[in-house]
Amino acid sequence: MKRWVGISWLTAVYAFLYIPLVTLMVYSFNQARFTTVWKGFTFKWYIRLMGNQQLLDSFFNSLTVALVASVIATVIGTLGAFVVSHYRFAGRKIFFGLIYSVMMSPDIVMGISLLMLFVLMGMETGFMTLLLAHVTFCLPFVMVTVHARIRGFDSMVVDAARDLGAGEFQIFYRIILPMILPAVLAGWLLSFTLSLDDVIISFFVTGPEFEILPLKIYSMVRLGVKPEVNALCSILFLLTLAAVTTAHFLTKEREK
Amino acid sequence: MKKWMILICILLLPAAALAAKPSVYVYNWTEYMPDAVLSAFQKETGIKVVYSTYESNESMYAKVKLVRGKGYDVVFPSTYFVHKMRNQGLLAPIDQSKLTNFKHLDPMLLDKPYDPDNRYSIPYVWGSTALAYNADHVKPEQMISWKDLWRPELKNRLVMNDDLREVFGVGLIVNGYSVNDTDPDHIRTAFESVKELMPNIRVFSGDSPKQPLLNLEAHGGMIWNGEAYMAAEEDPAIRYAYPREGAIFWVDSMVIPKNAKNKEAAHRFIDFILKPEMAKLICEYVGYAPANRTAVSLMDKALKDNPMIFPDPSVVEKGEFQMDVGEAILVYERYWERLKTGL
Amino acid sequence: MNENKGFKNTAITVNMLWIFLFVLVPNLIVVVISFLERDPVGFFRWEPTISHYINLFDPVNARVFTHSLTYSFGTTLLTLAVGYPFAWFLSRVGRRRRPLMLMMVIVPFWTSSLIRTYALVILMKANGVINSLLVTLGLAKGPVSILYTDVAVYVGLVYSLLPFMILPLYAVLEKLDSRLLEAACDLGATHLQVFARVVLPLSLPGVMAGSIMVFLPSMGLFYIPDLLGGAKSMLVGNFIKNQFLTSGNWPFGSAASVFLILVMVSMMAVYLLVMKRFNRSVMP
Repeated sequence: MKRWVGISWLTAVYAFLYIPLVTLMVYSFNQARFTTVWKGFTFKWYIRLMGNQQLLDSFFNSLTVALVASVIATVIGTLGAFVVSHYRFAGRKIFFGLIYSVMMSPDIVMGISLLMLFVLMGMETGFMTLLLAHVTFCLPFVMVTVHARIRGFDSMVVDAARDLGAGEFQIFYRIILPMILPAVLAGWLLSFTLSLDDVIISFFVTGPEFEILPLKIYSMVRLGVKPEVNALCSILFLLTLAAVTTAHFLTKEREK
Repeated sequence: MKKWMILICILLLPAAALAAKPSVYVYNWTEYMPDAVLSAFQKETGIKVVYSTYESNESMYAKVKLVRGKGYDVVFPSTYFVHKMRNQGLLAPIDQSKLTNFKHLDPMLLDKPYDPDNRYSIPYVWGSTALAYNADHVKPEQMISWKDLWRPELKNRLVMNDDLREVFGVGLIVNGYSVNDTDPDHIRTAFESVKELMPNIRVFSGDSPKQPLLNLEAHGGMIWNGEAYMAAEEDPAIRYAYPREGAIFWVDSMVIPKNAKNKEAAHRFIDFILKPEMAKLICEYVGYAPANRTAVSLMDKALKDNPMIFPDPSVVEKGEFQMDVGEAILVYERYWERLKTGL
Repeated sequence: MNENKGFKNTAITVNMLWIFLFVLVPNLIVVVISFLERDPVGFFRWEPTISHYINLFDPVNARVFTHSLTYSFGTTLLTLAVGYPFAWFLSRVGRRRRPLMLMMVIVPFWTSSLIRTYALVILMKANGVINSLLVTLGLAKGPVSILYTDVAVYVGLVYSLLPFMILPLYAVLEKLDSRLLEAACDLGATHLQVFARVVLPLSLPGVMAGSIMVFLPSMGLFYIPDLLGGAKSMLVGNFIKNQFLTSGNWPFGSAASVFLILVMVSMMAVYLLVMKRFNRSVMP
């Protein structure tokens, strides 16, 4: 009985998450130019997508920023969460306040104020400024996730390790990190997701040389989002799904 | 692999080294210009086009202003943003003697009050905002005036653009004022009229007003002509009508920011766009009318005679072009907040 | 020992520097602007004023704020109601399958949010999938209004924020030792008691983290409510965006943003305090 409730709850939520994407994939084969009414089956959007270099370029740009930014944010954020929960230092409370303020700042305010900062610093907008901004808005999500997990730990483990002569780095690397790994992974996933989808902040801090996909998609709205985008999203979705499943089975093989 | 090499280059090379190659930085809506035009320009002149995009006039304006116009050579603001940017000295004058194709432009769209003599802007494409309805639910004779939006049978069935200037513009027109009115009393009257319209409004569409019509959520409302044209292609029941009080017109223009680095290339780019065959390509691609008279004469008769895209000059004469309202925008914004909070 | 200090100091310095430069300084810029006069040409001019903060206290703005607050509270509660059991059941799945299933939660979110929202529109519109189903099954005579109602808004908000609740909850619940629960059961505790006395207190950090990560960003969100709700009401996000972009009133927009952050910081302080008390009361 209990098992049955669990399985149906999991299934229902996965269905909720996946039904819109299945709809999207079905409609990527729709003849209609504006994707509202079903007008027959076609492959033409996939063929057109292959010729749309601008769209593909911006996708690779997005992927690059998301990967680099999420990794940097995860490293810094994990260290940060460890630092605030294990060391006492001046400004700890303020530090937390600032972290939360990032999550509360409306995107437009953050985008404009960061651009003002970059202009003041004399930096040219482009990949670097975009990366700095993305790491900044991803940081709090890593920190909050990891911090929630670190807090539950017994500080005696750490004390014991210290008594046994472990250095601070060793404590972090050998004891804390393995214990908080699921939270670190969760934080990285959230960062990657946020970075891949950000529009408003990116609009302000990126430069003309570095266009990213979400920006291109949002600015298509004026003329109607092209069905090529649906095709691209469907392909990407299937690829990630395939990659995730393969990775899972590969690690399973290795465990055997 | 190539992508990574390019990325490394971008990271390592200072921006100056990249700029050494002749290029022109175009800032526009996504897909507002076919790739074919960009590559033809590149082939003919050897100037590289770097195309980046924005999603609203407002955000483009804020960004261009913050970076002081540096980094962008040709931008495509709509009517009243040309007026605003010109008034604030953000634009570089355009040297018409460098534009050999200037003669192809439609005089109907030149020398407008938002930029007399076209000193700072060259029209690109233009269109109108007028009435839309679904003929299965609304009879054509029920949609001839902006006032018809207030019909009780359209209760909860209207789509309006999520744009305060356009929505209050309708309120101003039905009260006999100009869409560019700055008198606070007139704006209040418009607000009161629009407030009475609220029960009819099902959705303010910030992205695409044709969608609620195609989705059968709305049976009528206000819409841009290009949107109506696309909607009608998909569902012939969707019609477009120029109200008898006059429609709202807009022009997207090409301008050069004051601090643009490649002004010479920008002029060449603008001149290239003015070529009739290029303007024709663009119109066929984006679905809005080109500001290019010669290009229109090259087009299919069916398209040329479609009043949705090419209205009669008398219709244009009756309509109004949006201008910057200056400080009155604060009054508009305040009433907009009251409209949406219901206070 | 030097190496020890080195690690500790580097970790603190990197974090402090980053937060100082890219969070504190931009925040200060916003605070400074909020105390300056508006200028139609330069966005602001160097004349101090507190008028923007006074203007914030106005029934219209209060309505904007309370409206956003309602959506955010509703969304947080709904994501918690859906996400907590989900994270719990997920953490009880076999160890081998867990990483895959966790990844499956996040994969849909790597698709553009705009495209996903459009997919929801396709599902909920008058001639859409759900309405066609309802009519075919004879459950409704004509299309039911779903799109452009509050239901659609909540569906959209929960849909886009659910992983921010599930992931931190999962990270906390996953470390719960099932032997602990068995022990409690063996000692005669009912399921409800085990949940209230053991599971819930131990998972509170996750509940707090998840609620914060859903509640705070949802206050600034406006794209999804606009597209799915028909933009008939104004939320804090639109309000601030309009001040910056439509009316070019940067100081007022900044003041609204600063005020918003201050209110939320105090709400969070109360929330954390209550949670701590609650935690102590259930685990004496």
